[in-house]
Amino acid sequence: MARMKFLCDVERCIDCNGCVIACKEGNQVPVGVNRRRVISIGEGKPGEKSISVACMHCSDAPCIAVCPVDAIYQREDGIVLVNKKTCIGCGYCFMACPFGAPQFPSGKVFGARGAMDKCTFCAGGPEETFSDEEKRLYGQNRIAEGKVPLCAAMCATKALMAGDANVVADAYRKRVFARGSGANAWGWDKAYGKK
Amino acid sequence: MNIKKNFRFILPVGALLLAAVAWAGSPQILLSPGSGPSTASFASINKVFTGDWQQYGQLFTTWQGGLFNRIFLLVLTIVPTVFLLHYIIIGAKSFSHAGTPIKFFGILTRFLHWLAALSFSLLVITGLMVVFGKFLGGGALIMSGRSVHLIAAIVFCLSAAGLFLIWLKDMLPMPHDILWLFIMGGYLSKKKKPIPAGKFNAGQKIWFWLATIGGGVMAWSGYNLYSFAAPTDQLRQMAILHNFLAAGLVGFFIIHLYMSLFAIKGSLASMITGYKSPEEVEILHSRYKI
Repeated sequence: MARMKFLCDVERCIDCNGCVIACKEGNQVPVGVNRRRVISIGEGKPGEKSISVACMHCSDAPCIAVCPVDAIYQREDGIVLVNKKTCIGCGYCFMACPFGAPQFPSGKVFGARGAMDKCTFCAGGPEETFSDEEKRLYGQNRIAEGKVPLCAAMCATKALMAGDANVVADAYRKRVFARGSGANAWGWDKAYGKK
Repeated sequence: MNIKKNFRFILPVGALLLAAVAWAGSPQILLSPGSGPSTASFASINKVFTGDWQQYGQLFTTWQGGLFNRIFLLVLTIVPTVFLLHYIIIGAKSFSHAGTPIKFFGILTRFLHWLAALSFSLLVITGLMVVFGKFLGGGALIMSGRSVHLIAAIVFCLSAAGLFLIWLKDMLPMPHDILWLFIMGGYLSKKKKPIPAGKFNAGQKIWFWLATIGGGVMAWSGYNLYSFAAPTDQLRQMAILHNFLAAGLVGFFIIHLYMSLFAIKGSLASMITGYKSPEEVEILHSRYKI
């Protein structure tokens, strides 16, 4: 079975935050929660880079390892999902995640964290596919519809790619090849510029 | 001014200026991520996301992924087994209730003790519910357990602070406490010999300090884990601390339960009425001056 992966091409990302908005609006994400975020490094300087990151749907995911109630699970296609009805909002997954993906809406009692919310790869959740309950708790199930996630579909520069890992890697490899390796060689930037 | 005339002055100054700009500029250019994808640019992206993950993130993931619940399981099985064996082999101590009972605990002390006892029991139960959550199915049950954990923690903090002030003087370590630890408080023999202890013995003192100072550390780390007040890397360290200290506290909680409910007959009654029998004080708290 295909292994689903995200890939953000830092050479193409222009920090427009379209992916963040598309995800938040399209999935009706709770207040205070952003499933995806864009960060920039070296802002305003030559060589500024931006990258869009959500849940990476890791192999051997740390969040699954630390969850005390086994609320997080991985599908056969690699997509990591959370069962919001099992989650207790303890926050251990947030502490284990290297990408800061798990998010917590504030709950009803004493400002306690509610059930964890994170990127679902637009694959819904453990509820019945296309059910109202699934849409209410997890957002759209575009994978079941045969579409790519909202963020990748919306990306104007096609920096963000999502889907079958082999296809995505192949597309990225072609791009890197087309861009040429000149910029990578030490001193080339400085010595030759773009000529 | 004639530029041609001053050219020999302007040239070296200009060259020096140019060299200074190039010298000052070049390290910045080398430090900046560069125009192409490079290891340096990926490294500075990593810094934003993973930070020190390799250090405490990895450690927390490994330990929370299997070590902590095993430690709690060991504490919950080994400690009661040891005391069951003690009960069968050596048995409980019972004392004559003849003579004038000796006043040991005032009304405020007893009230605060039972408030602390109730809240601490709830803390242990709800804490273990989270630790073994996967066997209870998670969901609303464990989530309400977390809310109870918070309320119980606040009640415990207040009552433990009161007990800390009341008992502090009697709980200070004394030289005879070392003697008490050597003979394990006389609990390894059936004989009734006077035990070196004042109002509280060394075992009670260890429990007191662990529950008050340790309880304070639990409250502080627990508050941060509850509100996510600290940076992520500190939260990981606090979660590790919270779990290890909790295992120790649960162990001593079981010991305290065994001692008061089973090992010494009439011990429970003394915390309800406030009086201990003269024989019990003579043997178990031989150095207590009334």
